[in-house]
Amino acid sequence: MARTRSALMGLVMSMAAGAASAQPADVIHWWTSGGESKAVGVFAAEFNKRGGTWIDNAVVGGPAARAASMNRIAGGNPPVATMWNVGVAVRQLAEQGLLTNLDDVAKSGNWVANLPPLIVKNISYDGHIVAVPVDLHGGNWMFYSKKIYDELKLQPAKDWDEFLVQAEKIKAAGYIPLAIGGQPFQEVWLWMPVLLGSTGKENFKKIYADHDATLAAGPGVKKAFEVMAKLRQYTDAGRPNRKWNDTLLLVQNNKAASQFLGDWGKGEFAAAGLKPMVDYGCAIAPGNQGAYIMNVDVFAFPKNSKPEVLATQKKLAEVMMDPAVQAQFNLFKGALPARLDANISALDVCAQAGKQIIDGGPANQMPNSALAFSSDVDGQISDLITSYFNSTTMTADAATAAFAKIIANADK
Amino acid sequence: MRISGLAARLVLSPTVLVTMVCFYGCAVWTAYISFTKSSFIPNYTFNGLAQYERLFATPRWGVAYSNMFIFGILLVVGALAVGLMLAIMIDRNVRGEGFFRTVMLYPLSMSFIVTGLAWQWVLSPSIGVQHFVRDLGFPNFTFDWIAQQDRAIYTLVFAGVWHQAGLIMAIMLAGLRGVDRDIWRATKVEGIPTWRVYLGIVLPMLRPLVVTCVVLLSVAVVKSYDLVVAMTGGGPGFASDLPGKFVVDFSFERANIGQASAAAVVMLGSVFAALAPYFYVELRKRPQ
Repeated sequence: MARTRSALMGLVMSMAAGAASAQPADVIHWWTSGGESKAVGVFAAEFNKRGGTWIDNAVVGGPAARAASMNRIAGGNPPVATMWNVGVAVRQLAEQGLLTNLDDVAKSGNWVANLPPLIVKNISYDGHIVAVPVDLHGGNWMFYSKKIYDELKLQPAKDWDEFLVQAEKIKAAGYIPLAIGGQPFQEVWLWMPVLLGSTGKENFKKIYADHDATLAAGPGVKKAFEVMAKLRQYTDAGRPNRKWNDTLLLVQNNKAASQFLGDWGKGEFAAAGLKPMVDYGCAIAPGNQGAYIMNVDVFAFPKNSKPEVLATQKKLAEVMMDPAVQAQFNLFKGALPARLDANISALDVCAQAGKQIIDGGPANQMPNSALAFSSDVDGQISDLITSYFNSTTMTADAATAAFAKIIANADK
Repeated sequence: MRISGLAARLVLSPTVLVTMVCFYGCAVWTAYISFTKSSFIPNYTFNGLAQYERLFATPRWGVAYSNMFIFGILLVVGALAVGLMLAIMIDRNVRGEGFFRTVMLYPLSMSFIVTGLAWQWVLSPSIGVQHFVRDLGFPNFTFDWIAQQDRAIYTLVFAGVWHQAGLIMAIMLAGLRGVDRDIWRATKVEGIPTWRVYLGIVLPMLRPLVVTCVVLLSVAVVKSYDLVVAMTGGGPGFASDLPGKFVVDFSFERANIGQASAAAVVMLGSVFAALAPYFYVELRKRPQ
């Protein structure tokens, strides 16, 4: 009897203690692969060290995780924090008044001065900060087989015309010049560096960030479509519906010379025990010198009816925006920290090269599709690119006209 | 009598309620959303037919929509034909009937995801049939339908028929076994060739079973999403897209509920328009 009573007392006391300290933070994210879950563990450990309670809520797959977040927000039981791809989608959430205002944390942490302006624009709504950017992936990398490039005495191409000349040589030597899987998003990852290399970084930014429809109908875009059509001839027959990481195996095994994808590709090389610039090469895509196509993951904090959640959310935001924590996080994630003042000396050679470009200032910082367009418009572009890249009948002129039309109708 | 009727109604009412809310309620809501401005989240501002205008101006929808008919008709006809042939072959008292029956039914026990992946490997030009035949010493052999925009949809039909034929066989075989032995004896006495007996006498007797098979296959066609995702991913480009994948892509990845709803409504309407006359004719015949 006495024992029961003391157990009950203990329970009541621990409940009281729980109420006094901060709310536990349940965080929805879709980082489930080896390196990714290690990375997110950095946030969890640091948050717990500073007195919080991290409840990990990993959902496999971005769309499923976003659907889970949306359902919980709509159902009145929002998670404390939820991961999202930065871009118009976050602003749309904010527009509905669903996100916590982080202005005071941002001010005390001096966020705005230490983030690329394009990112600040994309985490703000109506002048208020509503999301926390945690990484800065580069989307315009070329990963190449050092063995094939050394054997044929090639250097990474400086523009797309040179790349096509090299591709002919590589093909003649019996290798696959360009590894790509036939999935729309892989084709879009190829399209962006091709467009940037063909039209120049100023024009790329005007088309993507400012939705300049005149430029989108111009000769640079047409050139990009022509390059895409030529590139198709240097791919292999096993392309249909092949996953990006299976495709990367072709480069790892020196069967294919190159693949264009974001720096998350490094994770696959690392998992295979390969080192950058020793076992494989990384270079910024042809014609993309001095340009870094940014792909950013953010956490948003949905508004909650319980007032004590707000303190938890602010504490979590503080942890995630701590430069030292971000540096540690990105060591596992393979990206650059979103905070430009973070110390990145521990990151690999590819990341160091990317950092140099980013530090060149806003003129070098390019938006990717998700930063520039709503997921709806992003999807329309993806549909166009994939149907063009797989069609033998669609002309570059027709594709350019269709592209210009999408850009013209894109909401600002 | 009265009380038992009441009890039956009480027992049935939860089912009826769930059906009304979950099926009809959601269908009505979806139809309503398709006439509004909804994009990212539901928005109840009425917007006329704008969603439908945009939908039919989208090239990808045109491809997905016509693919539903190509895939649907070929799958229903193909699976019925193959399933029936298999059933007749087994019905001719082959040796090892049990073995064949099990083998033919096996594909059905696999999910569409596994089916799709396996067929993707079989049809992939770099590792599948084409590669195999070339290695046998025919270097010019080409079979790359899965990589061609105008052929990819037919590869889905192969996989679908392979998957569904076993089920049709099982149903048809049950029907064939139910045919009165006296009919067979009578046709033997008359000297009618076997193929004519099947075509002219047995098949018409199996009509209700054919209707069942058509229903089952049509359901498989309309809900086919996983097969496309696993096998072609809707590609090359969006050449093998189907409405089911279109709707899921637009409602989740593209965050455009309005377009997804409009597509879903067109899908429902088309299926209804295509199947209603058939069932009307078939089901009206039954009661006499």
